Amino acid sequence: MLELQQLSRHFGGVKALDQLSFEVRAGDIHGLIGPNGSGKSTTVNLISGVYRPTSGLVKFKGKDLGDLETDRRVHLGISRTFQNIRLFGNLTVWQNIWAARVVRSEGLKGFRERWLSGASRAKEDAELLLSFGGLEDKRDVLASNLAFGEQRRLELIRAAASGSDLLLLDEPAAGMNAEEINDLELRIRELRKLGRTILLIEHHMELVMSVCDCITVLNFGRKIAEGMPGEIQQMPEVKAAYLGSDLPTAA
Amino acid sequence: MDLLDLIDLIQALTDGVLFGTTYALIGIGFTLIFGVMHKINLSYAAASIGAAYLSLVLVNLVPAPIVYLGAALAGGVLGWLIYLICFRFIPLENPLATLMSTVGMLLAIEELISHLTLGMPQNYPALFANSNLEFGSFFLRGDLLFIFFLGCAAMFALTMLLKRTKLGLATRAVAQQATAAQLCGMSVSATNGATFVIAGLLGGIAGSMAGAAIGVLSPLMAMPLTVKGLVVTVIGGLGSIPGAIIAGLMVGGAENLFQFLRGVSERDIYVMLLLFVFLTLKPGGLFAAPGGRD
Amino acid sequence: MDFYLGLAQVIGIHSLLGLSAWCVLHTGQVSLAQGGFFAIGAYLAGMLTSMFQWPLGYALATGAVSACAVAIAIGFPALRIKGLMLVVATTAFAEIIRLFFFNFKWRVAGPEGLVGPDGSLGFGGIRYFPANGWSSFELNALIWSLVAMVMVLLAWLDRSRVGTMWRAIGEDELAAQCAGINLTAAKVSAFGIGGAIAGLAGGIFAHYATHIEHGNFGILLATFAIAYPILGGLASLWGTIIAVIFVQGFLLEGLRFLGEWRSLLFGVLIIVVMIIRPSGLLKASLGMRGRLNKAAREPEYRRDQAKSGTTDEVHHA
Repeated sequence: MLELQQLSRHFGGVKALDQLSFEVRAGDIHGLIGPNGSGKSTTVNLISGVYRPTSGLVKFKGKDLGDLETDRRVHLGISRTFQNIRLFGNLTVWQNIWAARVVRSEGLKGFRERWLSGASRAKEDAELLLSFGGLEDKRDVLASNLAFGEQRRLELIRAAASGSDLLLLDEPAAGMNAEEINDLELRIRELRKLGRTILLIEHHMELVMSVCDCITVLNFGRKIAEGMPGEIQQMPEVKAAYLGSDLPTAA
Repeated sequence: MDLLDLIDLIQALTDGVLFGTTYALIGIGFTLIFGVMHKINLSYAAASIGAAYLSLVLVNLVPAPIVYLGAALAGGVLGWLIYLICFRFIPLENPLATLMSTVGMLLAIEELISHLTLGMPQNYPALFANSNLEFGSFFLRGDLLFIFFLGCAAMFALTMLLKRTKLGLATRAVAQQATAAQLCGMSVSATNGATFVIAGLLGGIAGSMAGAAIGVLSPLMAMPLTVKGLVVTVIGGLGSIPGAIIAGLMVGGAENLFQFLRGVSERDIYVMLLLFVFLTLKPGGLFAAPGGRD
Repeated sequence: MDFYLGLAQVIGIHSLLGLSAWCVLHTGQVSLAQGGFFAIGAYLAGMLTSMFQWPLGYALATGAVSACAVAIAIGFPALRIKGLMLVVATTAFAEIIRLFFFNFKWRVAGPEGLVGPDGSLGFGGIRYFPANGWSSFELNALIWSLVAMVMVLLAWLDRSRVGTMWRAIGEDELAAQCAGINLTAAKVSAFGIGGAIAGLAGGIFAHYATHIEHGNFGILLATFAIAYPILGGLASLWGTIIAVIFVQGFLLEGLRFLGEWRSLLFGVLIIVVMIIRPSGLLKASLGMRGRLNKAAREPEYRRDQAKSGTTDEVHHA
């Protein structure tokens, strides 16, 4: 579904990404890990269109994304969450989801949806997502007033509301306690069952090892390892990248 | 165009550039405050003119250079007052509120000046008004030259202040990371206040320079000076002092050039268009503040 | 009685101006250009009725549409400029418009001599209302029905997808983009609609005042335009109207007895209000914090700077 070919991104003299190549297969939950500064967020920003590559390609469903604007990428089927939560603070929970959902019914396809099957279809989807995130009783609360865990859930369902095939999750577990992480894992699995592909950037090794089908490891902007969770845990390069500390095995 | 016209053109350009130091100082003032507090003080130019008015008190008592010094000091005091009234008590997260409060201050200052002077322009002392350096038909106006050097001296003093003193360091630290600066023991509000004072000192000099160049002070000068100052700040790049200097000289020169070519009533249109040209080509300004990575 | 009718007319016109700024401010763009669009509408509509004997309706409509077109033209380059740079750029734009009209001369023969804009002398003789026997009351009816129409339009837009998208952009542009919202379409449309409303207001103003000149359309007017939504609070349309009533009605007229000191007190009052209630008189504003803090970016860095870590205000749920 997603293919990065020799992707590089330089900021002045700093090579944030250096000839990175990997593939995410449709239906997978693909993990992207690495120490801080290894280029994980840069990768997400390149895929979602926030940055443009210095060289190399991002191919989605076989097509080179090139210079495509971020919002067009969303319509093609890529959506994302943010490491530091970026909700629409002064909009309610419902409005946050609605904003992402309603954008889908643009153009001819949207016209049909709005006038023939009525706006109810979009409302249904949004309601479903609301309950998927467990936020039904918070629908009229302003996003900035939610508890931290609820905000993270809202970020997740807002990204899902775009109806995208590929979800980029940028450290969704950061700051969460064990129970919230379990919840998150369940939701991610549920999303995959519903047909989404997921690229998960995370530091939380337990979550990554538990939920991912395949993992790519970055360090200093380059890929240093790739494989299934079990393999990754054994690789000395990976251990070395994390300063020699042993990686915990999957729970 | 024959030689005489060409000389006139260069004359206009030179006069403009020399006067441009005034705009440069105003631009530096705007950019200093923006750099440190990420806010625009729209009343800055008005306060500068106000400082010049305040220095009128000294006019018949002391020689002209002391009058200018008086204007600078008045500007510093006004700057601190504006910080106190318009910025100190409004939460930092509310830039619209501070914008509006400085607008209110701008109105208040203009009106106050109008009332106290009954709307009559006041004469302002100029130095070297009648001595010029002549090179045939081309001459460097003495008063403008003085203003130019005064402006340069002020900029030099500012650079020394920012690079060599503790206060300067504090200013730069707070500009970059206010919370961390606080954790290092710097008082953010004191530094901000000090920045306003420094900007005010510069503004006072600029106000007196404007008065000296034109020969009179009038409340009507506040608005155009504000607009030109903002144009200079934007062209130079928000937060960049070298940018403001270069842009100031450029705008001064361009303004006079346009006046020479198209007359005084159309002059400002072209100055604004110059701004738009810059915004299209270099939206960040000449020396854009670097954007963050993450 | 006539005095109050006149006051109501001024309040109505300024309400339209405030509503036009409300529109643009919603998407997070602080624009001081509304005065410029106001001027375009004023001169154009005035010229069409007094010089070419157009009926009022067509003149007003043309004024609004032209202002809208200019606004859209400005809206595109404005996309590349954010925050305070946009404030300056729009101020400069409004100044260009004002200076243009300062120099603009076009007079044609009219029933009582030459009529038309006369550069710095202004543009007099826009006598549509007196010539056609409109009473003060009828004028008010016209103005306020236009205000009502615009409010209904904006309320409808606000409730619709357009409104949600505008607000989302006003909250966080990057997040909005990553949710699939087309920034260009939304911001330019906000600019355009705001421009149209301002142009309409200008057209009415020209006929109400019968004589207009460049000084009417300066930075002060532009400041009033954004002051109304800011003072009234961006969350609701009524806030803007109430702010207009407050400013025009109480402040400027009510303080008449203070004579020439009115404007000074107005300035002081703005400061006081902003210190006491920074988010506006009515409910809190729409996430404008951080919006003005962003300097313009190089095109290469498309990402916004991280939001400042300051605590958000508490709203009533």
